[in-house]
Amino acid sequence: MPDMNAIADRVASATPPHVGKAIRGLSDRSIAWIFVAPTMILLLAINIFPLIWTVYLSFTNYASNRPNRAVVNVGLKWYQDILSSPEVWAAMQATAHFVFWTIFFQTLIGFGLAYLIDRKFRGHAFWTTIILIPMMLSPAVVGNFWKFLYQPQIGLFNYVISFFTGIPPSSFEMLGSVTLAPWAIVIVDTWMWTPYVMLICLAGLRSIPDYIYEAAEVDRASKWRQFWSITLPMALPFIMLAVLFRGIENFKMFDMVVLLTGGGPGSTTELASITLKRQAFEAYRTGYSSAFAIILFVVVFGLANIYVRALNKVKQR
Amino acid sequence: MAEVRLEQAEKRFGDVTAVTGIDLTIHDGEFVVLLGPTGAGKTTTLRLVAGLEMPDHGRVSIGGRDATPLSPMERNVAFVFQQYSLYPHLSVYDNLAFPLRSPTRRVDEATIRHAVERVAKLLRIEQKLQNRATRLSGGEMQRVAIGRALVRSPSIFLMDEPLSSLDAKLRAELRLELKHIQQDLGATVLYVSHDQTEAMTMANRIGVLDHGRLVQIGSPREIYESPRNIYVATRLGMPSINLLPLSAFPSHPAPTGTRTIGARTEHVAIARGNGGAHARVEWVEHLGDQNHLHLAIGEHKLVTLVDPDLDLSVGDAVDIALQQPLYFDADGERIGG
Repeated sequence: MPDMNAIADRVASATPPHVGKAIRGLSDRSIAWIFVAPTMILLLAINIFPLIWTVYLSFTNYASNRPNRAVVNVGLKWYQDILSSPEVWAAMQATAHFVFWTIFFQTLIGFGLAYLIDRKFRGHAFWTTIILIPMMLSPAVVGNFWKFLYQPQIGLFNYVISFFTGIPPSSFEMLGSVTLAPWAIVIVDTWMWTPYVMLICLAGLRSIPDYIYEAAEVDRASKWRQFWSITLPMALPFIMLAVLFRGIENFKMFDMVVLLTGGGPGSTTELASITLKRQAFEAYRTGYSSAFAIILFVVVFGLANIYVRALNKVKQR
Repeated sequence: MAEVRLEQAEKRFGDVTAVTGIDLTIHDGEFVVLLGPTGAGKTTTLRLVAGLEMPDHGRVSIGGRDATPLSPMERNVAFVFQQYSLYPHLSVYDNLAFPLRSPTRRVDEATIRHAVERVAKLLRIEQKLQNRATRLSGGEMQRVAIGRALVRSPSIFLMDEPLSSLDAKLRAELRLELKHIQQDLGATVLYVSHDQTEAMTMANRIGVLDHGRLVQIGSPREIYESPRNIYVATRLGMPSINLLPLSAFPSHPAPTGTRTIGARTEHVAIARGNGGAHARVEWVEHLGDQNHLHLAIGEHKLVTLVDPDLDLSVGDAVDIALQQPLYFDADGERIGG
């Protein structure tokens, strides 16, 4: 093509001679490196280096509010302290409770909603959008709003509960009660993130072709059997993916819970991330909190890895 | 197996009439192929028999009983889909056993095992029984899908282009197998295809559909030799039948009202300089066992089959004689058929 040659000639003539010479001297491999390098440098600077630095700090007595103090190596002291601290175990337990029950309800309700929306009734697109609204809000907004909703005297939540059950609205405090507060945060997170799980499940359900159901119908499979032998197994990888995303996300839950309960009452809703923040930026025990962060990292990373393996197994079937 | 009958069946999707006025009886043990291009209503007809679609008008009866209001489950039909409609998370064995495990059947596991193994052997997939359904080649998947239909004894087998997604070699193989199996079992089959070879080789009778109507039904020979109109005539034959205006053959004695003359490629005899219609050789296709001769009569083109030994080249003048031509009137309907 003469046009292309003409363009190439023009580009060549427009390149200053010294630049052309310099570029021509580079191998393909080095050009590739030049293109990749900025990203790699950025990743190293903001991801890898801080991680390594945290590992280093976790073995020292460094405190970020006393930068001039001599840094002493304390070995595994922080790790021993953390793993034998009842406070930390309580926080881990609160986190586990929160993660387990949010995933449980979100998956159950999310899949249920997806199953209903997938019926493709009139206006299903409109209802999908309506259902998605909570997850579009900022967690800070959600936290503040629900704080009002949970307010025992004027809150809508207590009013609705009392309307249906007859329990007087100011007789219980969702956020102030030791037994109710852990459930209060589960309710809010479920309200906010069920739509997300629904969306992923819906994608899964939509990926099942109609003719498989038709084949099953001709094969005399009841709706119930179709659900258990077609719908659920074929949507399972999607459900598992939703669980993975929500699990990782909720393991590091911070903002919404801080706004709702601040970890209280007492420390009943103090999740691991809140404990960590307090140690790092209120007590300024940088070494200790670094060790705690590493432990959390290993736990999440390990669990996610095991889970992804299980997910791949399911997908390969 | 049972006789299946469609009476005046009509199905509309919104403003579109998919099929209308379909009268079709598939006799017990008969293999009927519905032939037609995309959108002719073949699949809709099949789905009406299966109960996957409900007719807007007309009746469907299976084995003498009115099946019109019955759901697919209650009709006892087997359906093979164009796509491999396997249950992907189940093994081949479980896929084949799936229809038998319906609670409405109450078949015990030993009987199921026996039936599955028999069908697997028939379709030569007994080595693959423990494989996952997704770990099979296309041909194997479609065998499993066909096997899932064979494993029970339905009133009728409904097949919607089951071979169309396979490659040519496999298609030819499976076509033969399918016909053998049908004959051995004495199965009643309604088979949808747009492939004329499948229709010609497997069918007891071919039904040709056009725009939702059953234009003609008859044995492959009948359809080929005496098509009712131009549309049916063009459905069968490779290369397609030659259609020429009567004016191209001024000396040919044709019945009154003839507008178009149809001559199949093998019914055009050619000879050198005999004073018939004067034609010129435009192109010669060498296929090995035979040659396709592309001819021009004035501005009209036609294709004939000739002996590969016949020494003709581009530009040669030849004479044409028509043997058993078909005559069509101005509406494309056959005259004297």
